[in-house]
Amino acid sequence: MSQAALYLGLGMLLWALGLHGLCCQTHPMRRLIAINIMGSGVFMVLVTLATRGVAIDPLPHALVVTGLVVAVSATAFALRLATPGRQDMRKPEQR
Amino acid sequence: MLAALGSMTIPLATALLLLLLRIRSGYWVILSSIASLICGGLALQTAMQDGTVHVALGDWSAPLGIRFEINMLSSLLLSYTALIHLLVAIYATRSRHSETRHSDYWPLSSLLHASLAALWLSRDLFNWYVTLELLGLGAVAMIALAGRHAYPAALRYLLLSLAGSLCYLLGVALLYGRYGALDIGLLGSMTVDDATTRIALLLITLGLMTKGALWPLHMWLPDAHSRAPTAVSALLSALVVKGPLFILWLVWSRIAPADFAISIGPLFAIAGILALIGGGWSALRTAWLKRLVAYSTVAQLGYALLALGLLLHWRSVTLSVALWLFVLAHGLAKVSLFLAAGEIQGTLGTKRVWALKGASQTMPVATFAFALAGCSLVGLPPSGGFVAKWVLLQPLLTEPGNWPWAVGVLLGTLASAGYVFRVLALTFNRAETNQPGHRPDLFAQWLAMLPALLVWAMALLSEPLIFWLTVVSDG
Repeated sequence: MSQAALYLGLGMLLWALGLHGLCCQTHPMRRLIAINIMGSGVFMVLVTLATRGVAIDPLPHALVVTGLVVAVSATAFALRLATPGRQDMRKPEQR
Repeated sequence: MLAALGSMTIPLATALLLLLLRIRSGYWVILSSIASLICGGLALQTAMQDGTVHVALGDWSAPLGIRFEINMLSSLLLSYTALIHLLVAIYATRSRHSETRHSDYWPLSSLLHASLAALWLSRDLFNWYVTLELLGLGAVAMIALAGRHAYPAALRYLLLSLAGSLCYLLGVALLYGRYGALDIGLLGSMTVDDATTRIALLLITLGLMTKGALWPLHMWLPDAHSRAPTAVSALLSALVVKGPLFILWLVWSRIAPADFAISIGPLFAIAGILALIGGGWSALRTAWLKRLVAYSTVAQLGYALLALGLLLHWRSVTLSVALWLFVLAHGLAKVSLFLAAGEIQGTLGTKRVWALKGASQTMPVATFAFALAGCSLVGLPPSGGFVAKWVLLQPLLTEPGNWPWAVGVLLGTLASAGYVFRVLALTFNRAETNQPGHRPDLFAQWLAMLPALLVWAMALLSEPLIFWLTVVSDG
């Protein structure tokens, strides 16, 4: 059980680190990485919660998989917004 | 039951079809919103006859499956969402100042509609997380439609929205770890007042307040809403910020332990009053027209927050009626304000507030729409805003000890009147009329007027509305 507590604590710590990074960093890329660290923290907490009972609880796993899909797509979208694309570099005056 | 589900699936199917067939025309979206509105109306009628209906999706029951709850409030909100989407879609197809005519706006707005409808129907904490993310991603994508200059605001909104979701998700994880359930009804019967529950509820609240731009976590809203294309600003202010508010209301009134809710209520109410004053002050000071309207959203959400805080503190049902009346009245009025502002901006060719000089002569209908909607925000009778404020004020005025809250409402009203009349006074300045670059589009101005007329019609419907909402809040 102490192992579960360790993982829970680490997950919370990762989440808090990510939040701290989001608040203190100004560069969009660093803030995006901070968000992803926060996400990993939450997923770690969820995966740890699945091991509490005698049998493994499958529900948190399903939640983490859904959460990962959301996180990946949101990160891709944020990357597009944060970086000037090739098209935009070619004609910066157009818009 | 079928009608309510139809109201959600019709816009979803439309969005997917538009994406697959590469159609970017508004007429399909208008048709689908009308169909969704009719379904919402039918659902409302069924809900009035049969009461609350629970739907277990895929026949999986509560601890594992996802439950939809169709009651009068959900059906009313479904119809409201479809109506707002319809009004905005007509404007966006018709107006020449709409920057969204043949763009990706159409599938995105339908997707937004569908995810919001799913949010109104869900009663499951994790399903709410998914709908919130869909809502947030859709909203950000629609802001980015305005072009590169809107990317920084869109990115900031996206990052804060993601952080809010993760805050919410950690709270949900803690609740799941403590009780092993995600369904609102199940959790409501299990929660006890302990440290884990309290921390989880606070995390959920912080996340939702960030996503719903509730004071003091509203910093992303003015930029994001004012940079977006006009039709998008209207949808964002009228619909998107209301989703998190709905979840917040259900979480606190159904899951939270009573003692904790009573002690946290005044904090919400104080935040609401500060939002009213702070948002109103910023709206008074800003030089940009759409930013003024965006700050007014921050301020008006303060009323909802105040109603939420007081209803938690006093365990009062009437105040949740006030909360939902505020949401409905604010949504309609805000659509009108944004459409009128966008139309005036487009015709006069500038985004500054002072450019409105003489608009009462050059664009009388748009100015009148702005005035009507603004008066509903201030709460002048007989408008929807007035009815909401009346319901909110009744418990404040009957009990002498409640006078500080009444003063807060008064200050908020003063601030709203300040920024609405600041704009109106300028429009009547005929000495230095700012001539429009081309002939104003009368039909588009009437489209901006329509929601304002509807919000005034809400006052005529106030009795059935209050009755329906009271029935809902009891259950």
